[in-house]
Amino acid sequence: MQSRIFKNLRKDFLIEFRNRSAVNISFAFAGITTLSVSLACGGATLSPQIHSVLLWIIIFFSGMSGLSHIFIREEEERTSLFLALHSDPENIYLSKLVFNIILFSCITALVTPLYLFFMQVVPAYTVYFILTAASGSLAISSITTILGAMVAKAESRSSLFTVISFPVMIPVLWISIKLTSDSIEGGAPPELRSLLFLLAFSGVIISVSYLAFKFIWTEQ
Amino acid sequence: MVLYRLIFIFMPVVIYMAFMWAPPAAILGDASRILYFHVPVAWVSVVAFIVSGVQSILFLVTENRRREREYMAYNSAAAGMVFTILTVITGSIWAKLSWGSYWNWDPRETSIVVLMLIYIAYLSLYSSLKEHPNRGGISSVYLIIAMITMPFFIFIIPRIYSSLHPDTIINQEGKIHLEPAMRITLFSSIVTFTLLYGYIYRLMNRISRLEIKAEEKHYDI
Repeated sequence: MQSRIFKNLRKDFLIEFRNRSAVNISFAFAGITTLSVSLACGGATLSPQIHSVLLWIIIFFSGMSGLSHIFIREEEERTSLFLALHSDPENIYLSKLVFNIILFSCITALVTPLYLFFMQVVPAYTVYFILTAASGSLAISSITTILGAMVAKAESRSSLFTVISFPVMIPVLWISIKLTSDSIEGGAPPELRSLLFLLAFSGVIISVSYLAFKFIWTEQ
Repeated sequence: MVLYRLIFIFMPVVIYMAFMWAPPAAILGDASRILYFHVPVAWVSVVAFIVSGVQSILFLVTENRRREREYMAYNSAAAGMVFTILTVITGSIWAKLSWGSYWNWDPRETSIVVLMLIYIAYLSLYSSLKEHPNRGGISSVYLIIAMITMPFFIFIIPRIYSSLHPDTIINQEGKIHLEPAMRITLFSSIVTFTLLYGYIYRLMNRISRLEIKAEEKHYDI
């Protein structure tokens, strides 16, 4: 099982490395949005809550632009049938999930320091801030992987992806915005139970997605 | 079914009880009577959502009556969508009367809007999969994933964020803070609106069944 997952993952990275357009666009989108926001704010003094809202809006739309790509590519290049013959649905799901987690962690790792640098924000609790960004990214990747598989099978994919992702992602965005705001502002000691909420949410979504993926991938 | 026809008797009685029999609340006065409509439609929105989710699970795990389960999940979501819109409208009127503005992004207000967005997303996904042979499977998985996020909204987020919303019926103390006449009216209204949903849902399922039969007949010809 592990070797199949690793092979699929290696294949996805090789394809992305050869044809870097999708990943490049995702990174360019994330970078340009961050720069546009900091340019538009023009050195204005914003509250920690506004910083937190802006940062998560950038992260959310960066995810929307790139995370469904991994499944859409299989449908567009008509390789999904070969992939279905080669691997079990569970292996395919896990390899795509790991790919999306790595990709989105890289996007977050690009956006967050850029935002902090251009907006001149220094978090009061740095470790807590990093843990929030990492947990939020994990939750967003886990949701978008399964939803990406769904939209790959549908018409008008890009707009539909945002429509179906947003309601499921609201709890993650809500909690992440609050935690980021708290970690920038300082004051009260960090709340670990909210971080646990994000991790629990990711765990539940990944478990259900793992069990249900075969119903999306193989025709019933 | 005779049970569902009872709504033709129950609904006028509940409307009479809500406007004439139940006493007005202490601070809000007659404006509080919206409670007898807002709480039942909110309840039915969640019931319809659960029915949709259960039908989706049955669609995935059982082999028989799959076509029927697919439209039963869809019909419950479509009916639930209407009740969710009614919940948002009655809730915002109540918010204006008690808090002074129609919308405050209170955790309870947000959770019902999210439920509405989930219905919109499900119906959009379902319609965009029109030509796909696995339409039922994909849309069922979406409903199940959406359903497991709801407890986070209903039970966890309102406990993390402070809410202005009055205590829900299922509260931490397990008590209902209402006078007996108000409580009887509220529960009668909940039962009546649940029957109304059942009646509408049954009619929708009958229409879908007839549509499928007509479609099959068309192909036979």
